[in-house]
Order: sequence, then C-alpha cells, then structure tokens
Amino acid sequence: MRGLAAAAAVLLALLTCTDALVRAFFPHLERLGANFSGAYLDRELRALAPDRGAVVFLGDSALWGYGVPAGDEAVSLLRRAGCDCHNLAFEGGSPANTYAVLRALFAAGAAPKLVVFNVNQKEFNPADRAYRTLHPAVEPVAAPLLSAGERALLGASQARDLNGRVDRFVARSWALYGLRADLREALYGDVDAVHALQTVLRTATGATARAQADHRATADRFEGTYDLTPLASEPDNVSLVYLGKIGALLAQRHVRAVAILTPTNHALLHDFIDVPVYDKNLRYVTKLLERDGVTVLNDDRAIAAREFFDNDHLTVAGNRAFAARLRSAIGLR
Amino acid sequence: MVDQEHGVVPGARDVREVLSSDPLFRLSMRRLGNPVMLGAAVFVLVLVMILLGPSTESRFIYTDF
Repeated sequence: MRGLAAAAAVLLALLTCTDALVRAFFPHLERLGANFSGAYLDRELRALAPDRGAVVFLGDSALWGYGVPAGDEAVSLLRRAGCDCHNLAFEGGSPANTYAVLRALFAAGAAPKLVVFNVNQKEFNPADRAYRTLHPAVEPVAAPLLSAGERALLGASQARDLNGRVDRFVARSWALYGLRADLREALYGDVDAVHALQTVLRTATGATARAQADHRATADRFEGTYDLTPLASEPDNVSLVYLGKIGALLAQRHVRAVAILTPTNHALLHDFIDVPVYDKNLRYVTKLLERDGVTVLNDDRAIAAREFFDNDHLTVAGNRAFAARLRSAIGLR
Repeated sequence: MVDQEHGVVPGARDVREVLSSDPLFRLSMRRLGNPVMLGAAVFVLVLVMILLGPSTESRFIYTDF
C-alpha cells in the first residue's frame, strides 16, 4: 500500500512538472491553430491583458489567413512591420463568435489600443455554419459570460453532462490536457499523428495534388453561400444582432475599432452578388457600426480577383496587398 | 480433454508460470516493483496517450465549398 502511495506521489509530481513546463514553454503562435483549444484561447487572452498597446484582430478565416502558411497572412505581415498586432481570428468565425471573443477579451482584463474585425456578408446567411454557433473552443471560454438572452440566440450549447463537466474541469486545471489539441498540431502539423501520417502518404501517392485539382473554386460551388435578403428587413438576423452588440460593447468600453468589409472575389461570384441588394446590405452594416463610432473600411472590392483562390480567401500576394491596405487604418506608417 | 474437477486441460501450464519464466516480464516486474519506476511508467503511458491519441475533440471542419 505504501508502495502504491509512493508511486502515486511520483506520478503526481511528474504531472505537475509537465504542467508547469507546458504553461511556461508552449509558444504563443503567429495565429490561432486550425484546431485550437479553449485553453489556448484563454491563455492568449490572459497574455494580452497587460498589453495596453495591442492591436487585436478578430474575425473569420479571411482574416485568419486560410490557405496560406502562418506568417504569410496579413496580420503577421503587419506585425513584422512593427505593429503590436495579435491575430485572434479563426476558421469558422461570424459576428456571434467575434462578439463572444470580445467579451472574453474584456473579461480577461484586456484593454487593447485598437480592435480590428472583419464583416463578411456570407455570415448573415442563416445557412452558414457559424451563423448561430460558437466555435467549440470559444464556447467554454465565452458562453458563461453571455446573458441568457444572448445564449438563447445561439444553437447547440456545450455538453452539460458529467462527462462534459469533468472534461472542462480537467482541461482548466491541467495544461497538458487542456492544450492537447494545440500540442498535437505543433508536433505533427495536423490534428493528430494518424492524420499527419495520412497526409504524408497522400502527398507521396499524389492523392493530395489530385484532390486539390478537383477542388478548384468554381462559381457553382458558391451558389447559396450568400443570402441576399435585405438586412433592413431582417432585424432578427442573428449575425446582424451580434454585429450591433459588437459596436455597442466597443463603444461602452471606449475602445477604438475598425471594421473591415471583407475583400470579396466579385469576378468569381458575379452571378450571385453583383446585385443592388448586396451593396445596400454593406451600406446598412456600415451605418449600423458607424452609429457606435466604429470606423468602417470598405475593402469589399479592394483586391484584384487574381489575388484570391476562392470567394474570400487571399493568396500570399493577396495577403500582402491586404496588409498594405490595413497599414494606414491601424496607424502604421 | 478437460479435468472436470479443476476445469483445466491436463498438462497445460499456468499463465503465471508462463509469465514468470519470461525474462522480459520478470525484468518489468522487478522494475515496476519500485514505486518510482511504477509512477514514471504510468506517467509515460499518460503522456503517450495524450500526444499520440486520436483527436476526438469536436471541431469545425472547414468546408467552405
């Protein structure tokens, strides 16, 4: 019995040491990972708290830099040019998610110099998967901060069963477990070892190249992506409601903010979005945000079609052009 | 043919007998008899499970088109 107690003590000591090492040495990445965890997001928000000169970027995959390596997306380019920029955008963003991260940012004690977020008209479509769903990593961090009314606007909530509660408790208390998804991504460059191995095999056999060739962005793939109901007649649109809340929260906190109307590939989407209501909706959200003192930068048609590889994701050259446009908006010379 | 009284095949070696004659098993048991080694072994097991385990966390799979 004494032997088992000693073994348990050794195990606990090793786990505690690992926890301390992970907390101290796990890096702060250029941007959130493709598979980031709530524990990592929470860690980044707390790290930002004492930085009063921070410029925080929030939003979706267009700002996150989907399809380009970390370091080549616009926010990283701005950081290398001397901006204290932090990219907290992620794949699967939406106004509801931006608002939730903003609430978590303020709850962590952060008071950034500037908040920059993107507004993407496709996310006002109720069919968009992030329209009324918080990202699974954002939910455990931010959902408890939302009011009952705000939570009611959103769909599925986190598991409240014993398993879910124990999982969240362990993730909060033990960094190695909480950051396991981030650790795996840092180690393997993929969600886990099996997927990393599959990727190597698929690349070696040419399957990846074939899949990419089949996955070319053609206009027909985006039919239904944009729901162009006039937003003026949709006051209950969840994304619109949360966009209003973003502006109101920033005004209440007296934080300077810039909203970017997301660069969009009009050449590709011409048949679907080059209609008067699209621009009318952009003017509507612009007015809504300006009412709360948010500066709106209309980059909707600012980037040439050749700089996109699909509807709203920019190539490396496109990200460079995007970064150049953002420089003056964030006060960088 | 099974020994009806003991429920075993006559002549079959007991699993403990087989294991205890295996040098690797004997070495492992000697090492794990040490509490420090036992704690370290469980720690390594936990570490391997976390780092090499499959990703079961529910995440958005990005399927824009």
